Amino acid sequence: MDVTASMYAAQAIHGIAFGMVLFLIAAGLNVIFGMMGILNLAHGAFFMLAAYFCYSVVAMTGSFWAALLIAPVLTALVGVFVERFFIRKVQIMGAMGELILTLGVAMLILGGVKFFWGTENLPISVPPVLEGMVHIGALDYPIYRIFMIVLALVVLAIMTLLLYKTRLGKIVRAAVSDREMVNALGINVPLVFMFVFGIGVWMAGIGGVVIAPILTVFPGLADQVGMYAFIVVVTGGLGSLKGAFIVSIIFGLLSSFGIQFFSQLAPVLIVGFMAFVLAIKPHGLFGVKE
Amino acid sequence: MIDKMKRWLPWAALIIALAFVPKIFGIYYMNFFITFAVFAVFSVSLNLLLGYTGLLSFGHAMYFGAGGYGTALALKYIWNLPLLPALSIGILSAVLLALIVCPLVVRVGGTAFAMMHMAFAQLLYVIALKSRFITGGEDGLANFRIPPFSIPGVVSFPLEGAPANFYYFAIIVLGASLWLMWFFTKTPFGQIQVGIRDNAKRIDYLGFKVTHAKAVVYIVSAAFAGVAGSVYAMFQNVVAPDGYLGLLVSFTPIINTMLGGIASFFGPVWGTAIYALIEEIIFRYTDRVELVIGIIFVLVIMYAPLGFSGLMLKLKFKWMMFKNKRMRQAA
Repeated sequence: MDVTASMYAAQAIHGIAFGMVLFLIAAGLNVIFGMMGILNLAHGAFFMLAAYFCYSVVAMTGSFWAALLIAPVLTALVGVFVERFFIRKVQIMGAMGELILTLGVAMLILGGVKFFWGTENLPISVPPVLEGMVHIGALDYPIYRIFMIVLALVVLAIMTLLLYKTRLGKIVRAAVSDREMVNALGINVPLVFMFVFGIGVWMAGIGGVVIAPILTVFPGLADQVGMYAFIVVVTGGLGSLKGAFIVSIIFGLLSSFGIQFFSQLAPVLIVGFMAFVLAIKPHGLFGVKE
Repeated sequence: MIDKMKRWLPWAALIIALAFVPKIFGIYYMNFFITFAVFAVFSVSLNLLLGYTGLLSFGHAMYFGAGGYGTALALKYIWNLPLLPALSIGILSAVLLALIVCPLVVRVGGTAFAMMHMAFAQLLYVIALKSRFITGGEDGLANFRIPPFSIPGVVSFPLEGAPANFYYFAIIVLGASLWLMWFFTKTPFGQIQVGIRDNAKRIDYLGFKVTHAKAVVYIVSAAFAGVAGSVYAMFQNVVAPDGYLGLLVSFTPIINTMLGGIASFFGPVWGTAIYALIEEIIFRYTDRVELVIGIIFVLVIMYAPLGFSGLMLKLKFKWMMFKNKRMRQAA
């Protein structure tokens, strides 16, 4: 196969891998919004926090795999803490209170991260198993990108099984459709929602750990990648996993091919795509009217 | 007659006090007061949407930026442009942008409205950053001519390099804006706004057009944000994406409004004053902007969701209860 074709294939793999990570983050955001009706503006910050936790765990234990297990869980614990002691208190105020509170939490996390870890770029190396290329057909694929795609799919599978095949999932879905009734049946709905929030943040955490070796860890992560996750969710339709999936892949490909062909305009492409979609469908591609 | 005079007295006192500010505080603090006035108008314009109509926008900086860039470009490319046309061009560009955006956004509310604004503001930011040949990219536009404040043939005050003169100009423009907005909220149309916030369906049943009304408020709000941006551009003599279109610029009026209280017209003005003081004092000791803003957001929304004016109202109420109790005990 010639050079151009392999270039296209490599760009496509890059795009899909980035899209899958975006989808991990966006799916977490969507799970929280779909289940609890909260648009968690701190989601990007949690994602970044996970990357920093990953850095610290790698620095302490020297193992990327340990970081992959521990960092998202730590982030989820922070998320659960925020839900329990902050978000729950302002829920009576409606969307505005939640938006402003989560925005405040995002700022706090950003400030905290700069305080504890500083502002410079912290590198994390890819574990040796995942370095290098793999031959499939006549093309070389970087192993780490394929690992990213597979991991995102695995997390997604776990999520789906959890939500649709377990008793807990049944309770969550019931609580979404009629909160009071489920509460009256003796199920602790606030606890269930706390768990849901934790799961959503955990997914962002996985995304943060996975992307850390590629982009290195720095405070701008929350803005750069987190912003994309919001754009994905808004464009795909708030609360719609299908929409988030499609739009993440489109964005991943747009950004990788955009950088390839007109690097200056890549960010404009993505934001322009969103503006275009929202202009036609204000609630996103698969969004439901409030 | 005397009652009427009593009503006007505080205003007269305020105007006299404002007139003497440059004499009392000196030139150094002019920066502080002009910035305060600009952000007070910007915040009140946001509150027309947030407090009066119940629409939270995460991208109000768009209109601030449109005003700023409009004025800056006009002053740069139109030779010998007088002051008021320059200001009007700033306002017009904000209104024009609002006219383009508003058909898209007034159809939705709540979270979708907030996020769409974040998106559009981001789009504008990226465009301003990348179209280097028009906007100067990251560095922005600087050193354009600031026209003097003049009535042809009568008087002319230079504004460039004369902070005290600029202060008077800013106070007049911004004071007039505040006054107009105050009037706007007191009209019957202003009452419809409040009605939309409280119960849009009912307003619809009463025969008013909710979407149209929202669009009008939206454009008015954008126009005054444009005034603020335009004056700020002339004051700083530089416009750049980060200072005019960045996310933090969108958040500042929200902070001010939340701090001061979304439920009152003058709340955002109080909020701007409080935030300006916080900035003056805290940022002398630390430059951790995010931490400070984050703490303010969280504390205010959790403990004083109606902000400073809400707190004042609560205190007043408590004081009255206390007085009542005392009187009853005395009787």
